[in-house]
Amino acid sequence: MRHKPVILHLVDDTTAGGVMRVIECICGSNVLANSGTHRVHRVTRGRFMILPDWADIIVSHTTISWRSLPALIALRASHPKTPLIHVEHSYTAAFVSHNVTHNGRFSSLLKAAFSLFDRVVAVSHAQANWMTSRKLVSAQRLTTIQSCVDLTPFHAINPAAGPIKTFGAIGRLDQQKGFDMLINAFKALPDPSLRLKIFGTGPEEQALRETAAGDGRIEFMGFCTDPSLPFKDVDAVVMPSRWEAFGLVAIEARAAGRRLLCSRVDGLMDHASLGTDYFNTYTKTHLAAAMSRLAKQSNGISIPNGGINQLAVFQESWNNLISEFADRAKKASPAFLAKPPHGQRRADG
Amino acid sequence: MPLASIVVPAFNVSATVAETLDALLAQTFTNVEIIVVDDGSTDMTSDILDAYASDPRIRIIRQRNRGLAGARNTGIHAAKGFAIGFCDADDIWEPSKLECHIEHLLNKPDVGVSFSGSALIDDNGADLGLAQRPRLRRITAAHILKRNPIGNGSAAVIRREVFHDIAYRPSSERVRNWYFDETFRQSEDIECWLRIALTTDWAIEGVEGLLTRYRINSGGLSAATDDQLASWERMLEKLTALRPAFFARHSRAARAYQLRYLARRAISDHDADRAMEMVKASFGQSTRPLIEEPSKTLTTLGAALLLRFGGQEALRVLMRERGA
Repeated sequence: MRHKPVILHLVDDTTAGGVMRVIECICGSNVLANSGTHRVHRVTRGRFMILPDWADIIVSHTTISWRSLPALIALRASHPKTPLIHVEHSYTAAFVSHNVTHNGRFSSLLKAAFSLFDRVVAVSHAQANWMTSRKLVSAQRLTTIQSCVDLTPFHAINPAAGPIKTFGAIGRLDQQKGFDMLINAFKALPDPSLRLKIFGTGPEEQALRETAAGDGRIEFMGFCTDPSLPFKDVDAVVMPSRWEAFGLVAIEARAAGRRLLCSRVDGLMDHASLGTDYFNTYTKTHLAAAMSRLAKQSNGISIPNGGINQLAVFQESWNNLISEFADRAKKASPAFLAKPPHGQRRADG
Repeated sequence: MPLASIVVPAFNVSATVAETLDALLAQTFTNVEIIVVDDGSTDMTSDILDAYASDPRIRIIRQRNRGLAGARNTGIHAAKGFAIGFCDADDIWEPSKLECHIEHLLNKPDVGVSFSGSALIDDNGADLGLAQRPRLRRITAAHILKRNPIGNGSAAVIRREVFHDIAYRPSSERVRNWYFDETFRQSEDIECWLRIALTTDWAIEGVEGLLTRYRINSGGLSAATDDQLASWERMLEKLTALRPAFFARHSRAARAYQLRYLARRAISDHDADRAMEMVKASFGQSTRPLIEEPSKTLTTLGAALLLRFGGQEALRVLMRERGA
């Protein structure tokens, strides 16, 4: 009987909550369980030399940095025949623009790190275009799989109907998410019946509270352990991110039947097909104008829950990717067919 | 050999546009389309352009006046090349300019904006003996905000993908995207370059050589300095939301450089009061220009003082002796 490949997902200890949810979506999926056994393995950033030896395919979800590069090289060297896949959850064009001083040095890092893997997975089409156009990885070694999570709890939410009165901002309160600008834009809207609810915690919380001070329409709701809860509380979701590899909140918002207003940046552009609204340039004025337009347009219009097929597409893409490499792993290792799951050290290991 | 586009915004430029187009047609890189956007000219510009219409390399687009940014946007929208250069209709490109930039862009996939230095010419096209020799490498957003190494609107050749990355469409616009912000009538260049630096990861890099002959119009230089300063401040205000910490850190120094630049223009115009006012305002903002560029800053201060206390004649004599 053919043995199912075992896929080891490496996660480093700085991995963000959203990334963990995507990985849980892979590991907890019955559909994906048919083609392979998925296991999560937590590693310390930059130090993951000793790995369980039963993996047929290794998928890295770790953050690439100069500090972690030696560990990635060691990973490649110690697993010369194991297919290695890297999912790039962090880096995008706008990330580089905002955070990187030495652009050339940084692209050298990414090129070197990506070259260690048999395949790089981009989490949005926008990110994939960036990677190929900057020649960080060749198109042949790149696969795009838009991130996804189980959207069932979001589809179960009653879609928003009637006028948009409450805007929601959902995510970590740090500079990346652009909630500082959102608060400023919201304060410029005169309508006293509008509300802005901010869900999440993070390093910018104090500064954001200070910016919001004096406007009683703005409320800080704290962190929700159930990611679907915030959507029940708001009519529309605003994502004014300064950079964003994909933006899970976007597909969640649309699944929950909430209107969505995004900045024109990176992976957020992938959500255009979901009927997303965008504000033009990254200014308070343009965001405020877009919010007031949204509030006016949506009077009495109910918004259907969107994005039903995303999970199926996500699972199928991962299945295809795993099958492709399972075949290669089989060819590379004759012991593959005979080996039981969680078996002994491989002959070629 | 890939196709390159050159966009030439043309508004009432009957005196100079023929020379500009002749220089573009004489480029050593020959797979080129030249898109001239006649931005509602009311002089003889249209007639002069008609004489070029038969050249297969030249396309002429006419529109109602939308300003420099609006003319460039129309040109970008029409351009088919993998890279798009800009040449204002009173500036002259050296024959090798396009070739140098195309080679640069082809060799360096991370470079999105390729530019060069410029030699300055007067109304008659005569060399002024002055040049813009900007920093060419490792250019950050702070360099652009403070010193704008790209220098002028006829210096850059830009990869088309860069424009794709910064495109947007205001709700009032029905026809095409905006790349340059058409609500600006001044500072539209630096606003666009800064937006590229702040929102994309494209490298901005220069090539060696003075490849543009950039025309300095005599007279009226300092007349519009208030407008210029106002639009520069508006640019700052517009972009601050993108990265508040960056602007908090650099805007005072950048304003000092901007005021120093306006002081130099006032000096060229022999407007002593204005020059002193700008110099004082510059020092009031920040002493970074003095630390980063002591010679140029002190020269500006000295010239403003000389003009104020010695008069035009003293400044003229001194400049003649220095050969400047």
